[in-house]
Amino acid sequence: MASTLLKKAIFSNPATVRKTLGIFCNATRNHWNYQYMPGPYPKTLEEREAAAKKYGMTIEEYQPYPESMGYGDYPKLPEIGEDSKDPHYPYDNPELKRNFNEPIHARMEIFGGDRYDPSMKRRFSLAHQWLWFFGVVGGSFALFFFLEDYKVGRPVTAKQYPWAGPHYLFEAK
Amino acid sequence: MGQMLGSYDARKVGLYMDDQPTFDPQAGFNYQRKSREMVAREADLISAKIPPKHRDYCAHYLLEYQSCRYKNMPLIYKCAHEKHAFLTCEKDDYELRMKEFERERRLRLREKRLVGAY
Repeated sequence: MASTLLKKAIFSNPATVRKTLGIFCNATRNHWNYQYMPGPYPKTLEEREAAAKKYGMTIEEYQPYPESMGYGDYPKLPEIGEDSKDPHYPYDNPELKRNFNEPIHARMEIFGGDRYDPSMKRRFSLAHQWLWFFGVVGGSFALFFFLEDYKVGRPVTAKQYPWAGPHYLFEAK
Repeated sequence: MGQMLGSYDARKVGLYMDDQPTFDPQAGFNYQRKSREMVAREADLISAKIPPKHRDYCAHYLLEYQSCRYKNMPLIYKCAHEKHAFLTCEKDDYELRMKEFERERRLRLREKRLVGAY
């Protein structure tokens, strides 16, 4: 590839080479380039059709995010965590349970197998979790406020310093 | 009584750890109490960089102990006697505070008894 690029750069099309190199540099160093950016929010039916076609979906499937979210024409995909996908399906990319050219969810970072799955089966119900949380924290606070009135300590008066004197011994002069 | 419950009973008269005595130091004694003497000079303590919280009535022992350590630095076991003297003084100081606490507690109880509130 390097020789082809070099040939292109020297002989035919230096501008394209610069652009291609820019994209490679961006993708490897910054993990983003302007070509990743979605198009503007589709307002008319034709724009919607065009956007659906761009993302390889039918017009019925295609549903953009609300315009205020700023995702442009990026489609709203179902929120399926990696753990909820069929582990026995022959994926093109079995590590991520993903097929080639399958559209990526706009918030795919959170739906990884090591992160979050919205349809996860909870080990304990939310009510159970809140009950334990407030039981422990509230119980600690209750104990704290109850014991405010039962302060104990060592049976000594304040330490005696010469500047706070005079102080006396328990013996005759 | 010992450690934790030591001041528990004293809360009946509103007395807690590290409170200041409120009665006249001579009250109830048929002799003049001896006052405590500060032996170390403030200037020496400042010069030796003894922190203010250690500038109590035992500071001269501490001063001696620290200067001994300074003189024999790697062989600080030679300062065992100075250290012992200092810690004994601190122990006596603590004992005095315990006595003051007990005196304060009994005086408060007595006052309550005289007033008839207890």
